Amino acid sequence: MNMAAGNALGYEAAPAFSAPLRFFLTAPLFGVLAGVLLLVMPELLESRWTPGALALTHLVTVGFMLTVMLGAMFQILPVVAGAPIPATTVVATIVHLLMSAGAVALVWGLGAPAPDVLVIAVWLLGAGCAVFFVAAAIALLRVPITQATPRDMRFALIGLGIAILLGLTLAMIIARGLALPLVPLLKLHVGWAWLGGVGMLLGATAWIVVPMFQITPPYPAALTRYWAFATFTTLLIWSATVMYELTSIEFVIVIALVALAGAFIGNTLALQRRSRKSIPDITQRAFQLGLGSLIAGLICILVSYHSDSPLWPVLSGVLILHGGFISVMLGMLYKIVPFLAWLHLTQAGVRAPNMKKLQPDAPVRKQLIAHAITLAALIVATLGVSAWAGRIAGMLMTIEFAWLLNNMINVIRAYRRAGSA
Amino acid sequence: MTSITELMTHDHRACDEVFATIETAVAKGDWDKAGAALTAFGEALEAHLSAEETTIFPRFESASGMVDGPTRMMRMEHTEMRRGLDNMRDALERKDADDLSGEAETLLILMQQHNMKEENILYPMCDNHLSGEMATLGPKITSQLKASGA
Ligand code: HEM
Repeated sequence: MNMAAGNALGYEAAPAFSAPLRFFLTAPLFGVLAGVLLLVMPELLESRWTPGALALTHLVTVGFMLTVMLGAMFQILPVVAGAPIPATTVVATIVHLLMSAGAVALVWGLGAPAPDVLVIAVWLLGAGCAVFFVAAAIALLRVPITQATPRDMRFALIGLGIAILLGLTLAMIIARGLALPLVPLLKLHVGWAWLGGVGMLLGATAWIVVPMFQITPPYPAALTRYWAFATFTTLLIWSATVMYELTSIEFVIVIALVALAGAFIGNTLALQRRSRKSIPDITQRAFQLGLGSLIAGLICILVSYHSDSPLWPVLSGVLILHGGFISVMLGMLYKIVPFLAWLHLTQAGVRAPNMKKLQPDAPVRKQLIAHAITLAALIVATLGVSAWAGRIAGMLMTIEFAWLLNNMINVIRAYRRAGSA
Repeated sequence: MTSITELMTHDHRACDEVFATIETAVAKGDWDKAGAALTAFGEALEAHLSAEETTIFPRFESASGMVDGPTRMMRMEHTEMRRGLDNMRDALERKDADDLSGEAETLLILMQQHNMKEENILYPMCDNHLSGEMATLGPKITSQLKASGA
C-alpha cells in the first residue's frame, strides 16, 4: 500500500461537486428526448430493427445510463477503491462534453440514418471513452487490490470498454461498410453491454452498497469472490460460440450466463429481505422493482431463443433497461445527489440541513411511482395493443425524466440556499 | 492472528445493527426504546472512534510517518459523525420523528462512506505497518471496543 492510496482519503482528493453533477443533470435530458421520440413515433416498439428503435435504445443506454455511470465513477473510485481520477475536474469536463455530443451524434446518426454523422459520433465517443478509461486506468493502477469490490470494478470497466469498442465497430460497419460480420458482433455488443458492463458494475457496487446502506448480512463469500470472474470468463466463452456460430453450445452458455445473473439477483433480494431497516426506504423499493424486472427480462431472453416473434427481444429490452437498470440507478441517484450536497456544504464549513431537508421524500416517491407506471405502459405498448399505448408510454416517459431532473434541481437549489444563508 | 481490518470491520457491522434498532423503535412510536437504542448506539460508536483515535491512528502515524495523511481526514469525519449523533439526540428529545429520520439517514450515509474508506484503504494500510505488533495491539483494541458492550 502506498502514498497514492492514502492520499485518496484527503479532502483534496474528493472531486468537486460539479464533476459528477454535470453528468447527473445531463442524463435526464436524454431520458426526456427518449420520451418525446416515442411520443412522436409510437411504432418504434414494434421491432428492434428500425433505425428509430436503435436511436431510442441509445438515448436510454448511452444518453442516460452511460452518462449516469460515468458521473458516478468519478465519485465512487476514490471512495471504494482509493483511486481518485487524476485532474478530476478537467477530465470530467472533457469526458462530459465529448460523451454528450457523441451521444447526440450517435442517436442522430442511427435514427436518421446518417452515415457521416455516425462517423462523427464514433470519433466523439471514442475520444471521450479513451480519456475516461486512460484516467481510470491510471487511477486504478496506482493502488493495489485488497478487496472484492475494487477488483470487480476493474472487471466491470473492462467489460464496459469491450461493449463500447464493439459499439464503435458496429457503427463503422454501418456507416463505412467495414468488412466485418454485423450480426454476431451486434449480439456480442448487447451481451457485453448488459452483463459485462452495466451488470458487473451493478454487482461490484452492490457488494458494498447493499450490506452497508440497507444494513443486511454480507453477501456469501463465494459470490463476491468468484462471481465477477466467472461472469467475465463465461462471457468470453459465449463470445467464441457466437463468433464460430456454435448455436447449440451457445444456448447452453446463455443459460449459464442467465444463471449467473440470477445468482446475483436472487442473493440480493434474499439479503434485502433480511435487512435490519424496519421500513424499506425508497432506494430499497427501487432496487426491488429493478431486480424483479431484470428477472422478467432474463426470462424473455431465454424465450426469444425459441421464438421468432419480434415481441420478446423488445420486451426484454424494455424490462432490462427501463425496468431494471434505470430503476436501480434512480435509487442510487436519490442517495448520492443529496448526500454530496450535504457533504460539500459541510466541507465548506456550513452547518448543513440534513439530507431529507435537502431532498424531501414525497416528490421522490411520486417520481418513482411515475417511473413504475411508465414501465407498465411501456410493456403494454410493446404488446402492440394500439399506437395510443405507445404514445401514452412516451408521454409518461417524458414526464418521469423531467420530474427526475426537477427533483435534482430542487436539491441543488436547497444546497445553494443553505450555502448562502 | 486477526487483523485490524477484520477486527474493525466486524465492529462497524456491530454498530450498524445497533443503529438499525433506533429506526425500528421510532417507526413503532416507542420513544423510550428509541432513546435506549440511541444511547447504546452512541456508546458503541464512541468506543469505536476512540479506539481508533487513541490506539490505532497514533500507532499507524508513528509507524508510517504519515501524520497529516489519511488519519487526519478520518479524524475530521469523526467530528462530523459526533455532530450527527448530537443532532439525532436533539431530534429525539423533541420527539420529532421526521427530523430524526433525516438526521439518521444523513449519519448512516456519512458513516458508511467513511467505513468504506477505512475498510478498503486505511485498515489494510494499518495492517501493512502494524502486523508485527498485533500480539499486543489486538487485545488492547478488543478491550477498548468491548467497553461499550456492543
Ligand atoms: C458508446 C457506445 C456505443 C455505441 C457507439 C453503440 C453503437 C451501436 C450500434 C451501431 C448498434 C446497431 C447495430 C445495427 O444497426 O445492427 C448498436 C446496437 C445496440 N446497442 Fe449499442 N452502442 C453503444 C453503447 C451501448 C450501450 C452502453 C448499451 C447498453 C447498455 C447498448 C445497447 C445496444 C443494444 C441493446 C443494441 C441492439 C438494439 C436492437 O437490437 O435493436 N449500446 N449499438
